[in-house]
Amino acid sequence: MKYLIIILITVSLKSSFAQNGIIYGTVTDYQGNPLVGANIILGNTGFGASTNEKGIYQIVSIPNGTYEISVSMIGYKKLVRSDVRINDNPVKVDFKLEEMSIQSKQVVVTASKYEQQITELPVSASVINSNELSERNVSSLDYALRYAPGIMMNLDQVSIRGSSGYSRGAGTRVLVAIDGIPIYSGDTGEIIWEIIPVTEIDRVEIIKGAASSLYGSTAIGGVINVITRNISNKAFTYLRGSYGIYDKPSYSVWDWSGQRRPFNIFTLTHTNKIGRFGFTLSFSRNENSGYRQDDYFKRFLGYIKANFDFTDNSSLTFLANSMNQTRGNFVYWKDSQHVLQPRDADQGQRVISGRYMFGLIYRNKFNSALSYNLRTSYYYTGWRDETSSKDTSKAGLLRGELQVNYKSNDNLLLISGIETSFGKVRSNLFSNPKSFASGIYLQGEYKFNFPLTLTLGGRYDYSKRETLNGESSVSPKFGINYKLTSSTIIRASAGRGFRAPTLAETFTSTTAAGIKIKSNPALKAESNLSLEAGINQSFGNLFNLDLAMFQNEYYDFIEPEVDTKDGQVFFGNVTRARIQGIETGLNISLIPEVLTFHSDYTYLWARDIEKHEPLKYRPRHLLYSGLSYTISPLELGLDFRTWSKIERLDNELVDLGLVKDGDKRVAVYVLDINASYSLIDLGLPGRIIANINNALNYNYIEIIGNLSPIRNYSVSLEFTF
Amino acid sequence: MKRYVIIFALTCFIAFLNGCDKGITPEPEALPKEAGFGGSIIFKGNWPQGVTRTHIVAFRTPLLSSKDFNILNLAFVSDSIPYGTRQIVYSSLINPIVPIKNGDYAYLAVAQSKTPALSLERKDWYIIGVYYINNDTTKPGTLNIPENTFIPDINITCDFNDPPSQPPF
Repeated sequence: MKYLIIILITVSLKSSFAQNGIIYGTVTDYQGNPLVGANIILGNTGFGASTNEKGIYQIVSIPNGTYEISVSMIGYKKLVRSDVRINDNPVKVDFKLEEMSIQSKQVVVTASKYEQQITELPVSASVINSNELSERNVSSLDYALRYAPGIMMNLDQVSIRGSSGYSRGAGTRVLVAIDGIPIYSGDTGEIIWEIIPVTEIDRVEIIKGAASSLYGSTAIGGVINVITRNISNKAFTYLRGSYGIYDKPSYSVWDWSGQRRPFNIFTLTHTNKIGRFGFTLSFSRNENSGYRQDDYFKRFLGYIKANFDFTDNSSLTFLANSMNQTRGNFVYWKDSQHVLQPRDADQGQRVISGRYMFGLIYRNKFNSALSYNLRTSYYYTGWRDETSSKDTSKAGLLRGELQVNYKSNDNLLLISGIETSFGKVRSNLFSNPKSFASGIYLQGEYKFNFPLTLTLGGRYDYSKRETLNGESSVSPKFGINYKLTSSTIIRASAGRGFRAPTLAETFTSTTAAGIKIKSNPALKAESNLSLEAGINQSFGNLFNLDLAMFQNEYYDFIEPEVDTKDGQVFFGNVTRARIQGIETGLNISLIPEVLTFHSDYTYLWARDIEKHEPLKYRPRHLLYSGLSYTISPLELGLDFRTWSKIERLDNELVDLGLVKDGDKRVAVYVLDINASYSLIDLGLPGRIIANINNALNYNYIEIIGNLSPIRNYSVSLEFTF
Repeated sequence: MKRYVIIFALTCFIAFLNGCDKGITPEPEALPKEAGFGGSIIFKGNWPQGVTRTHIVAFRTPLLSSKDFNILNLAFVSDSIPYGTRQIVYSSLINPIVPIKNGDYAYLAVAQSKTPALSLERKDWYIIGVYYINNDTTKPGTLNIPENTFIPDINITCDFNDPPSQPPF
C-alpha cells in the first residue's frame, strides 16, 4: 500500500510537471535597447508578466498548448504572435517593439531648448518619428517633410506656413538643425537635405512660427530639429537595401529614355557601447538614374556619432556627417512636350559637391537646478559646376554656443545662452567674403498652479558681412499655455523674428541662363512679427483635434527682383508681406492600435500688401490626410496630399521666354501607398517594405518648369541583428 | 457581406486611381515654327551721348567694303533698343523692322546711329557689338537658320569701352 501511494504521488507529480511549461525572452526596441515594464499577456488565460530592468520576462506554470501572445507598452505598437506552442521544454520568444507616435505624450526639445511635452508648448509643433521615415522609404529628409502639416517643399526649399517661396537655394526662412546644431551652409545659407542621415533619425521636431528669440537669424519662419538616435546599450547592426523604378510617364511624348528608370539605396549601420563609451557608424550609398534627363545622382553618406559619459551627469558627444555627390543639373524643362528633358542650352550639366559637418556637444548637469551644454560645430561645403559658367564655391562655417539652464524651483526655469559664428567663402560667384554673427538670449518659463505656463524671453543678435556695416536685432517672445481641463489646452504666442541676408544674397554676381545677377551691398535684414493662438482637444489616445490661427507680418521682405534701370536681377528688400491662416489637425484612432486616421488642413492668405498681389509659390489650401492599418505582422499606410493651384510663380521667366510653357500649373493630388510585413514570425529579425509613391501618377510642379517625381515603385528589406 | 464590402471598396479605390485627371498635360504638337533667332544683348560701359537708335542687324554676306552695307544685303533689322539699356532678351520674331527668313547670314551685329532721321549710309552707323561663335573674336560668327527653326542663345556683348573692329567705311 505504501509503495502504491508513493507511485501514485510520483505519477501525479510527473503528470503535473509534464503539463506545465515556461516561456521567457526579451523585449527590446528596434535598436536593441531593453524595454522595461512591457506587458506580456498569454491569450485569454490570465497568465502574464512584465519585463524587468533588463527587458527580460518569464511566465511559468503554463499548461501545455498553443497560445497567442501579445506584448504592449505605452509608446510602442502592440505586437501579437500566434501559434506559440508550450510544452515541457522552456520556450524562448523575443520581441522587438516598434515606436508609436502618441502626439499628446510626445516629448520635444526644440521649442525651448529643453525637454518638455508637446502639450506644454505655447506654439504649434509636430513630430515625425523614425518609423514614418522608414515606412515611406525616404532617401532624403525633405521628402518626409512633404507629409508634415503646414509644410510645403518648393523643390528643396522648405516653407512653414508659407514662410518661403523659391529663390534657387539662396537663403532659407526655416532653421534646420541636427541635435540642435544648425546646418545652413556658409555661402548660400541653404539646407543640404541630403547630408542628414535618414536612417539615424530618431525623430524630427517641427516648431512653427518665428523662433528667433532662442535661435536667432534664419528661424524667422520656424525650426526643424533632427534628433538623432541614442547609441544603443548593446551591439546592434542595421542593414537596409531598397530598389525601385520610376513608371513610364503619362504621355508617350514625354518618354525620353524608353526605360523605367531605376534607383537604389543601401545603408549599413553599427552601434555599440563599451563601458562609458558608445558609438554609431553608418554608411549609405544612394544612386538614382532620375526620371528626368540630367537629373541623376550618386551619393555617398558617412555618419559617426560617438559618446563618452564622464559621469552620470556629464558627457561628450561627437558628430560627423559627410556627403559626396555627383549629380546632373536639371534647371528647367524644355517645353510642355518635353517636360522631362532640360532645355538644349542646359543639357549635359552636372555638379560635384562635398559637404562635411563636425559637431561636439558637451553636456553637464551640476545638480538638479543647474545644467549647461556647449555645442561647437564646423560645416564645410564645397561644390563646382561642370557647366559653361564653371561656377565654384567653398565655404566654411565655424559655430559655438553655450547654453545654461537654471531651475530655481518647481515653477521657474531660466534658459540662457550665447552663440557666435564665423563664415568664410571662396567663390567666383559670391567673391570671397567673410561673415560674423553673435547672439545672446534669455528665456524664462514660469508654471503657475492654475495650471498656466508663461514664457517670456528675448535675444539680441549682431551680424556683419564682410566690410559692410554690422546690423543688430532684438527678438522678444511671449507665450502662454493654459490647461483649461485635463484634455483641453489653450496656447498663444507672439514673437519677433529676423533673418540676416546670406553672403550669396548680398554678393552674387554672375550670368545664368541669359540673366545677369548683380550684388546688392545695401541689402539689409528682414524681420517679422509672428502671432499665434491655438486650442487642442483630446479624448485619451482616441481623438485629438488641434486648431490654430496665425498671422505673420514681414518687413523688408527679401526677394529676387529685376532692376528696371539695367534689367539685372538682384536680391532686395522689396516688400511688406502678410501671411495669415488657419491650421487644423485631426487624429482619430478608429480601431485602437489597429486603424488610425489623420487629416491636417492649412488655409494660407499670403499677400504682398504693397503691390496687392499673392506671394509666389504659396497655395491657398493645403490638405494632408493619412490612414494607417496595423494588424501584426502587416502594416498598411495611405497618404494623400492635395493643395490648390499656386496663384503666382516666376512669371518673368515665362515672359522672357526662358521657361517655355512655364505658366503650366495645376492643383495637386498625390497619393502614396506603403505596406510593411514583419519577418520576425519567420525567424528573421527584419521586415520587408513596399512603396508606391505618386500612385495616381499625377503630373504637377512645385516650382516653375520642374515636373515633380512621377509614379515610382520600391521594395526595401531591413534587418537588425 | 464583409467580402462584398471589401470588393466594393477595392473597386472604388481602383476606379479612383484610374479616374483622376493627370494634371499637367503636353501642349498639342506645335505647328511648324517660324524661322528666327533670339538671345540676349548685354551692354557694358556708359552709353555715348546723342545716340538716336540702336538695332540688331544681320547681313547676308560679309561687309568687306562700304558697298556691302546696302539694303539688298541687309536681311534683318530689329525694333530699336531703348537708350541706356543694360541687358535685353530679344527675339527676331518680335516687332522686327525687317523680318528675317531662313538662310545663312555672315554678319550679325548691334549698330547705333546718331542721325536725327533714319539713314542707310555706312558712315552714319557705328557697330558696338558683333556676334561671335565660341568667343572667337577674330572673325564674325555666321548664323545659319534652317527652315521652320528658331535658333536661341544668339548672345552679343556690347562693350562701349572696347568696341569691335569696324567694317570698312
